[in-house]
Parts: sequence; C-alpha cells; structure tokens
Amino acid sequence: MRIEIKFPSTWVDASTFEKSLLAGIGPHEASAPEVVFTFPVGCKVMIEVGVRLLSLVNQLDTCCKRIRLEFEEGEEGAMGYLNRMGFFDHLSGNVDVEPSRPLYSGAAMYAGGSSRLVEIAEINATSRDKLLPKKLTEVLTRTYNTRDDLVEFENATWTIFSELIDNIFSHSETSLAGYAALQVYPRGNSLKVAVSDSGLGIMDTLRPTLESELPSLASLSDTDLLVEVFRQGLSRHGSDRGCGLKGSAQKAMKYNAELDVRLPKIRVLLTPGQEGYKPNIAHCYKDLALLWGTHICFTFRLDSE
Amino acid sequence: MESDEGWGRGDGRAVYVKLIEHVENHPGVLIFKISFQDVRRIDISFASETIVEVARRYRGKKGFCLIDPCNADLLENLDAAAQRKEQPIMMDSDGVFRIVGALVSQGLRDALNFAMSRPTARVSDYVCSAKDVSLTNASNKFRQLWEKGFLLRREEVAESGGMEFTYFRIA
Repeated sequence: MRIEIKFPSTWVDASTFEKSLLAGIGPHEASAPEVVFTFPVGCKVMIEVGVRLLSLVNQLDTCCKRIRLEFEEGEEGAMGYLNRMGFFDHLSGNVDVEPSRPLYSGAAMYAGGSSRLVEIAEINATSRDKLLPKKLTEVLTRTYNTRDDLVEFENATWTIFSELIDNIFSHSETSLAGYAALQVYPRGNSLKVAVSDSGLGIMDTLRPTLESELPSLASLSDTDLLVEVFRQGLSRHGSDRGCGLKGSAQKAMKYNAELDVRLPKIRVLLTPGQEGYKPNIAHCYKDLALLWGTHICFTFRLDSE
Repeated sequence: MESDEGWGRGDGRAVYVKLIEHVENHPGVLIFKISFQDVRRIDISFASETIVEVARRYRGKKGFCLIDPCNADLLENLDAAAQRKEQPIMMDSDGVFRIVGALVSQGLRDALNFAMSRPTARVSDYVCSAKDVSLTNASNKFRQLWEKGFLLRREEVAESGGMEFTYFRIA
C-alpha cells in the first residue's frame, strides 16, 4: 500500500503540515512500504516544516520505505526554496525526487549570502560545527540591529541556540542527524529558528525516571510535563542537569518568543505570559502522526522590544 | 578554551578536566580567583560542567571566586547553572561581594552577612553581636553555611586552649 501526503497550494506552516500528515494513515505505519509527498503548484514551505520534513523523510528511509517527493512546480516552487535551504544536501540518497534532484545545491552556492536565513545545518556528535550557534545569532542580530539592548539580546539568543543544539548532542541517542535552520519572514513580521532531532523525545527520556525521582510529576499529562521541563528544568539525569532547556525558555520569554515543541505524537505551543510559559496558555495537539524525536521552533516577532 | 565562547557539556567537560588539574597542582591554595575577562560568553550547560561543578566538587575544602565583571548574560547563565546545582559562587567586584547561584535561607542570612562583612569570623564573635542566638545555634548556622559552600573554615586554637573553627568568606 502506498501512502500519499499532499500538501496544499499555499503556505505550509507546522499546523498545516500536521493536518496533511493526518489526512491518511501516518507515514510511519508499517503497512505502508511506500510514501509519496506531493508539493502542488503554489505550495510554499515554512522553515520549521522543511526541517521537520527532512527529519521525517530520513527516518522513513531508515525503515526501508520507498520515499518519493513530487514537486509539481519543479524548481520554481517549494523545491527551489528547499534547495536554497540545503534540504537536498541532507536528504538521503535513497529518496526519489520528481522531476529530479536539483543539479546544484543552492545552499552551497549561496551559503552565508543572505541576511535573512541560515541554511539547514546538520547536527551530529561526530561532526560538530562549533560556529553554528554564532551563525544563527548573527542573522538574528542583523535583523534586530536597531535594538537598544542588542548585545544582551545577542548573548541571550546565542544561549538559546547553544542549549538547544547541545541538547541534541547530549540526549537524543540516535545515529540519525539533527538539523537547525533560521529564516526571517519580514512580511510575516517574524523570525523562526527550528531545531530538530530524530532521537528519543523528551518524554521518552524523562518519564522512566520520574516515578523514582519526581513521583509528584509522574501523573502529569505530556503537555503539563512538557511545560514543567521548560519551567523547572527537569532532566532524566536528576536534579543536577536539565537547566539548559529551562534557561533557553526563560531567555526566549524575555523576548516574547513563542515556543513550538513537536514530540513523537503530540505538539505543544507555548505562548509566554507575564509569568512565563504556563499549562493554561499552552495549546496541545495529540494523536498526531508519528514523528520520531524532538522538534523545537522559536518564533520571535520582529517588532517586539 | 579553544575560543572565547564556551558551548555545551562536551566543551565544558574538557575544560573541567583542565580546571581540576590546575587545582590539584596547587594543593596549598584554598581560594582560586577566576576571571572571565577573555571570555565572550558561555552557555548554561558549559557553566554547569565547569566552574559550578568544580566549586561543588571542592565544596567545603576550597573556594572559587569570580574577580572580573561579567556581561549580564554570562552572569545569568552562571547563576542558572549554579542554582540548579545548589552551589553558591562568590563574586568580588573591587571589594564588593556578591553571591550567585544557591540562595541562602532566611535563617542563615544574618550569619552569612556577618561572615561576609569581615575577612574572618568566629562563632563566638557572632554570638556577641547578634541578639538571642545561643552558641549552639550559631555554631549550627556557620556549619551549615560551610557545608552548603558559602564559607570555608579552618580549625584553630581558641583562647580557651581548645579548638574552634574560624570561618572566612571565599574572596
């Protein structure tokens, strides 16, 4: 049986991405050895979708599924953008691309040439780009270069990126690579930073230890527990660790960034309030199509001060 | 550090080893002054694996004090990492002392302020200066401050001929 996932002829953000995945049975379903992703004319992909899709497709490939990406607009549409972002540079060679893979890598050709994006960077323990947090930060600070608190903002965002990326090195326990990318959307008045990994999700690493170490939290729902991860800094490594994500979230809250966390079967959107991220202003989406790993996207508003 | 940025646990562990080596190569030194002058920034994980972990390892035996001003973000990250490990870290800005990281409890605050306001402090001196504090109570307070890493102490001969602890700030 073949699964066909067709994206709409419009902007595909994370929510639209999830709806498309849920249109049929999930791509990870064992009964579907073949999966086709279709990008019609007019389809445009947001950066967090590009990064999550890359992770998903490479995951499916490791399950020996036949994967095909069909770009009905050729290099003019979504394919061109994904090529510019470096999507195909990291895509498994086993994946078929229609009409054909780009002849050259847009990311390689124009890397670093835009002040509005940082191309998809691979994150794995064996090849660590030590400059990656800095690259992400530099685009951010160029975008916000009129801020009075630019230095503080730069350092805070550097910390956010450092912690998120280091978390992948430290916790994901997978041979599949993680990815990070950044895109400014002037018309959307936003800047998005997306970080993805295909390892164990936060819940899967945390829950086994909760009964013994923090039993009061063991009964929390995944949404409430996820909020506590970012509020209290929980970690499977006991009370000593776990402050990285909490610290990142605190810094993001200072700059009113929204936090989108996708775990294997759920997605939680955290909007900062005056007292930080709270369960009662978190939106949770459950029973989503299986997507291994942890996928985080911070969205900063361009006009926030 | 290979650059002016300290990123993540991996880099932190590598620096930690060097810090330990340095401490062990100076066995007679009780207080180590640490400067971030040439460090542009460090993240929380790096701070946790380096200075905070070293301070925690030697808690009660040796102390670590920051001596140069740090940028706000670096300080915030250090504070977050130290709070997480319930480890106080001393800062000395030209004689103005500050503690980041672990918070001192209300019951110990007065004793800590007493100790911080002078180079050395004895329990008996504190009892004389404070109201309604018994020698036993004061002794417990100072011992707790030492155990939690806020102070160091050494054993000395008291005026009475017996032995007593002299407590001192980590600066």
